[in-house]
Amino acid sequence: MTTAPRILVIDDDDDFVQSLRALLEREGYAVLHAPDGQEGVLQARRTRPDLIVVDVMMQERTEGFFVVQELRRVPELAGTPIFVVSAVYERTPEFDVPPASDWMAHDGFFPKPIDATSLLDAVRTALATRSHADTQGDHR
Amino acid sequence: MKTLTLPKARLDFLVSVLQQFGEIHGPVAQGDRFVFRRLRRWSDARLDYTRTILPLKKYFLPPRERLFRYRRGEGYVADTTDLERRIVLFGVHACDIYGLNILDQVFGGRYPDPYYQTRRRQVAVVGIDCTPDEHCFCRSMRADVVTRGFDLFLQDLGDRYLTFVGTALGDDMVLATEGLFQPVTRDDVEDYKRRSADRERMFRLEAEIRDLPEIFEMEYGSRLWDELGERCLGCGACSMVCPTCYCFDVADEVALGSTDGARDRVWDSCLFASHAAVSGGENFRASRASRIKFRFYHKQRGFVAEYGRPSCVGCGRCLDVCPAGIDMVEIIAGLREVDHAAAQ
Repeated sequence: MTTAPRILVIDDDDDFVQSLRALLEREGYAVLHAPDGQEGVLQARRTRPDLIVVDVMMQERTEGFFVVQELRRVPELAGTPIFVVSAVYERTPEFDVPPASDWMAHDGFFPKPIDATSLLDAVRTALATRSHADTQGDHR
Repeated sequence: MKTLTLPKARLDFLVSVLQQFGEIHGPVAQGDRFVFRRLRRWSDARLDYTRTILPLKKYFLPPRERLFRYRRGEGYVADTTDLERRIVLFGVHACDIYGLNILDQVFGGRYPDPYYQTRRRQVAVVGIDCTPDEHCFCRSMRADVVTRGFDLFLQDLGDRYLTFVGTALGDDMVLATEGLFQPVTRDDVEDYKRRSADRERMFRLEAEIRDLPEIFEMEYGSRLWDELGERCLGCGACSMVCPTCYCFDVADEVALGSTDGARDRVWDSCLFASHAAVSGGENFRASRASRIKFRFYHKQRGFVAEYGRPSCVGCGRCLDVCPAGIDMVEIIAGLREVDHAAAQ
C-alpha cells in the first residue's frame, strides 16, 4: 500500500487554504495546514512532509521569507521542495523584491491567484524528482 | 565611504534579503533585558534596545568551547563545529563594533587565533545608531562613532536611515536589495548633522581620559585601589559582560584510565582568585585589591601602550552588572581628583 504524499501548507488565509486543500486532495495528496510561520516550522520538523507551500505575507509581511530560511536550516528537510505563494508583489508597491531572488531559496514561486494547472504540474514534477532521488539513495 | 538612504518602512525587506548572507541575529528582549539571538521573525527584533546582557564576543569566543579531541593512535582532531556558520549581526551599536575591532587586534595580532579568526570571517556586521542611557559613556571613550568594523551602518534620520557602506560585502548587500537604497540628498546630510548634534547632547555620563595613562602610572600606590579591593566581590561579572575582556582558561578533560580526552577553553577573569595562581602555591595577585587594580590598569593604561587606545569602549555594561556598584567612571574621576591632604 502506498501512502499519499503529504503537502504542508503554511498560510493564514483560510479561504485560500480551503481551496488549495480541495485542489490537492482531489489529486490524491494529503494536506497538512499551519496558520503561521512558527507553527509551520514546528509541523514541518514533526511531520516531515513531502512538499511545503509557504505564503509570504502572514502576521508579518515578510514572515514567509523567514520561514523559508528557517526550513532550509532543518537537516531533516534537506531536499524537501518549498513553493512560495504570494499576492504581495501585485498589491504592495514598496515590495519590489523580485520573487526569483536567490536568497528566497525556494523551488517554485506562484503568484496569487494561483494557476491550478501550473501548480499541480510543478507539484507532480517536484515530488517525482524527490521520489527518484530517494529511490537512488536507497540503492546506494 | 559610500553613503545611501533606506526608507525605514522597508527595513524588514532589507533584513529578508540579508538572509542570503547568513543567519540574521539581532537584539531581542529577554525579560527586561536584551540579548543578541537569531531572529525567527522580524518583529522579534528590538532596535530600541539599550545594551545586550552579553556583548558580541560570545559569537567569536564562546563562553565554553571544545578546541580539539585527542586519542592515542589517532592524534589531535580539531573541533570545528559551528566554526563556519555564516551570520549577519544586525543592529549592532557603535561601542560594540569598537569592541570587536579591539578583539580583532588581539586575536589577529602576533599570535592569530584560528578559532576566532575562522568565526570572524563568517560574520557580517550591520550597525545601527543608538540613544545613550544613564550608563553610556562611549563618547568619553571615543567609541560613540565608528568608521570601520561594519559592513553597513544605519543612522536614524526619522523616517529613513542614512546608511554607510563600510566594505565590499556591504556593497554586495546593497546590490542584492535591488533598488531598496536611494542616493543621499542635501536634506539627508543636514538631518544627519542635526541628529549627530542632538545625540551628542544626550550623554549624561562623562569620563575625562586625557593623560589618563600618565595619571594611572603615578597613582599605582593610591589608597583607592585598597578601598576598591574592600568593595569588590571578585565575582568577575564585569569581565564576563565586557566586550573587550578576552581572558580565557584552557583545561584538558581526561577520563581516568583512558587514552583519550579533549581540550576546552572557557572564559576567565582577572578578578578570580585563581587567575594569577601558579603551581607551587604562589599567587601573584592574591588580594582582591591587586586584582581589580590589574583590571583597570590593563584597560586604561596597558592597552594604550600596546594598541594606542584604552580597551574600554564605554558601553556601560560593567556599571550595570556590578553587584558592589563599582563604577569605572567614578574611579576615573576619583583618580583625577586632587588630594589636598596629600599635597600639604
